[in-house]
Parts: sequence; C-alpha cells; structure tokens
Amino acid sequence: MPRSKVYVKSVGMTTVADHWNDSILDLAVEASRGALKGHSKKPDQIIVGNMFSAVGARQEHLGALVATALGLAGIPAFKVEAACSSGGSAFNVGFNLVKWGAIDSALVVGVEKMRDLEPEEVSQALAMAESAEYTQFVGATFAALNGLLARYYMEQLGVTRDELSAIPVIDHANAVAAPHAQFRKAITPEVVSRSSMIADPLRLFDCAPVGDGAAAVLLVNDSAASGTKRKMAEVLGGKISTNDFSIYEREDMLDFKATRLAFKGALQEAGVAPGKLSTLEVHDAFSVVGALSLEAMGYSKRGQGAKDAKAGRYSRGSDLPINTFGGLKARGHPVGATGVYQIAEAYLQLTDQAGKNQVEGAKYAATQNIGGVDTTSAVHVFGRAA
Amino acid sequence: MSIQYWRIRDRYYRLIGSRCAECGAEFFPPLYRCRKCGSESIKDKEMPRTGKIMTYTHLHEPLPGFEAQAPLYLAVVKLDNGAKVLTQIVDSPDEAVKTGARVRATIRRALVDGDSGQIVYGFKFVVVN
Repeated sequence: MPRSKVYVKSVGMTTVADHWNDSILDLAVEASRGALKGHSKKPDQIIVGNMFSAVGARQEHLGALVATALGLAGIPAFKVEAACSSGGSAFNVGFNLVKWGAIDSALVVGVEKMRDLEPEEVSQALAMAESAEYTQFVGATFAALNGLLARYYMEQLGVTRDELSAIPVIDHANAVAAPHAQFRKAITPEVVSRSSMIADPLRLFDCAPVGDGAAAVLLVNDSAASGTKRKMAEVLGGKISTNDFSIYEREDMLDFKATRLAFKGALQEAGVAPGKLSTLEVHDAFSVVGALSLEAMGYSKRGQGAKDAKAGRYSRGSDLPINTFGGLKARGHPVGATGVYQIAEAYLQLTDQAGKNQVEGAKYAATQNIGGVDTTSAVHVFGRAA
Repeated sequence: MSIQYWRIRDRYYRLIGSRCAECGAEFFPPLYRCRKCGSESIKDKEMPRTGKIMTYTHLHEPLPGFEAQAPLYLAVVKLDNGAKVLTQIVDSPDEAVKTGARVRATIRRALVDGDSGQIVYGFKFVVVN
C-alpha cells in the first residue's frame, strides 16, 4: 500500500499556566489559530486530544465544538482519549489518516483545563485513568501508585534520593529559557529532597504540576505541503503500545513494556537507530517514571536511569539532551495536551526555532507520551524535512 | 454508584480472583484470559489471605472520600500464591509497615457512598507478628 510522507507544517501553543480568564475552548482556539496562521486551505479533519473535559469543564463533544469555533464546521472532528497519552494518541490517529491517504491534512489539538477544579477533584479526575474497582476503591491516587513504584525501584535496584532528583533538576534547568513553560526557574537536588512529602518516598518536586494549556500541530502530506516555504519536520514513525493495566497486574513492575514496545516500533518504522536521536521528550510525570522510561527505551540499563541522569548523560550539551523545554515537571503537564506539546517542541528543535533551547544541528527527535503508569505509551519519531 | 461495588462484593469480601485451568496461574483482580499462557479457561478462585509487602507508600492526600483515613498506608502485597493485590495496610504500627512484612487480609469499612450514604466494605491487610 502506498504511504504518503507526513509533515508537521506548523504549530501553536498557549503557555502552560493558571488560565483563569480562558475556557477550555478559548485555549483550544488559541493554540489552533497559532498552528493555522497563514494557511489559506482549511484542514481536512480536526482531532482533539483531551483526557477529562467532562469533569474539568463539564464539556464533551470537543471535536465539533472546536471546529465550529474555528469556522470549520462541516469537516470531520472528534476527540481521542487515552488518559495522559490522549495528546500523543490523537496525533497518532492524524498521522495514520494522512499517512495512508485518507486525508491530506489534519489539525491535532491537545487541550486540558485542570485549574478550575479543586486539587482533590484533580486527583479524582486523574485517578479515573485507573481501575475504579481496585485502585480508586482503596483511595489510591496517581501519586500513590508512583510512590509504590518509586520505593520498589529504589529498594530493589539501589537507587538513592539524590539520583531520583536528577530528572526534575534537568527539567527545571531547561525550562528557564522556554517561553511557554509553567515554571521557568532552576532548582537544586535539595529543593526536591526538601519539598513536602506527597506519597512517600515521592515529594512535591518529584511530581508534575497541575496547569491549563493547549498545543496544536498541523499535519500535511506532500500534496498539501507543496509550494510551502516553511521549514517542516517529517513524521518518520509512530506507535502506540499498552502494558497490563495496573502496576499490580504486571509480572515485573519495573518493566515499562508499553514504552519499550512503542519505542521499538516507532524507531523501526522510522528507520532510525536509537543512537541517532538528537533529543528526546520523556514523559516524566513523576521522577521515577522518567527514569524507568529511559531504561525501557534502552538508553539506560536497568536501575541506571536516575543514576545516568545524575551523571549528566541527559543534560543539555550531552549526546542525548531530554526535555529541552522543561518536560512535564517544568514545562508543565496539562494532561491531554502534553503529548502535543512534546511534538510541537520536537518540531521547534528540527526547524531551528528553539531559540536558546536549540540543540545545534538536531537531526532526529522522538516524543514519548504515557497514559497511566506506562499503561498506554505513544511514541513518535521526527526528522528534518528534506 | 454503590451497585458497582455490590456487583463484585465477593471479590472484596472473600478475595475471589481467577485461576487458569490450563497452567494453574492465579490472579487478582480477576481476568478473562490467562496472562501467563493465554488460555481462556478461567475459573473463580479464592485467594490465600496471607502474603508479604512488596512495596508500600504513606499517602498524605488520598482520593476524596478517604480524608478521614489520611494519612494512610497503601501497599502492593504479594499473596502466597504469587498474585499481587493493591491494598490499604491498617491497624499496624508505623515501624511494622515495611517491605517484606507478613500481612493478612481482613474486612473493613472501605468507603461511604457519596450519594446514598451506603457503607461499602472491602479487604484491607494488617501486619502479622
């Protein structure tokens, strides 16, 4: 079957912040307009990535809502939900539709409105990504599951508190020069280890913050891209995989199988060797998740993810800088939008528009977007458009 | 929403999980297809009520509805048949809640349903000396 080349032609983003004056629709429209600016031809389809608009904004049916607001009613539009990997999953749908020739172009917009809720309501909304009957039933939040995982990781594999702090430190350092990041302030490991306890051993600075935001990307094939003078990023490969649903249902809790399979599949489709990546967006919703993700992708050996981060292997200036705009911890994690932010950031790197955060000569980039505790993982690989 | 819990009360009260009739592997929560061998010959099976803490956390802010129990201990317990259970650890001194501690299942008030006020019971585990 002939497949089209697929490009990210343009992107739009809101800052990740407390957007008290903006509704979920305002945010989606702002990001979408950013991605559509200067394009005379309307996209063939809109795909919205969102996790919990029903709870966060009493609003479903986001596809038609966004299409109408953009003056695009008439085209197909719907929402894709896969917990915190909703954004990456929505993108994957758009990528496949364009790749296999069903449509010439798609607008993918990830959006989440979290701050209208009280903190405990956010916990409840996020926990809906876990089993109602066996996880929510015992009062466990997402932080609790990751606390269980973090203790297991540290005790079984001899990982220390300071090693675990390394990834949040990298994120905050990278966010300083990122205009759209939620927390643009560098931190030390002591800031992490002295922050308040959330789910022992995880502390506040091990955990991604709560924020509102939207990011959008315009996907096009060769014919929709023809004649453009814009710099584009090519989508070389993408794959979504799943793990056994909850950590307590897994043979090995430290094996991020979804990420391992998705990363392998996406790289295979892209024809890019793991060592060729110039930068990588890691879904570090919690410090331990970042470490286990780097191990699942094969960049660190088992038990070495956090240690390697502490040793500087993933910092700016290394062979594989991660989360160059701050990652989930510092750019922020408006859950259903996060996967699209990551892709927009990969695009900025590959089109030399990353400003002070630019990885010089970046050739290939990948994004890893998780829903649950590695329950769903969406990985995409990008290159410079030839 | 209490009916959601009532429907599976046996799972909560008696720890009814699954046993694969082909390979003998046992699981909790129950499943439809064996994760070890892929067989669909799955039967209900009561789990052993004792096991060991694999990992635990002391949670300061649990989900809404559990505030009165906070801070609370949660653990992944490996039961004596190898199945793993996510559970609260209750009625145990702080110093006893640690990785490797022996625990046994007990029945406790799990939650009060927000709309109807119905009390829902479920398993929790205690550390045994």
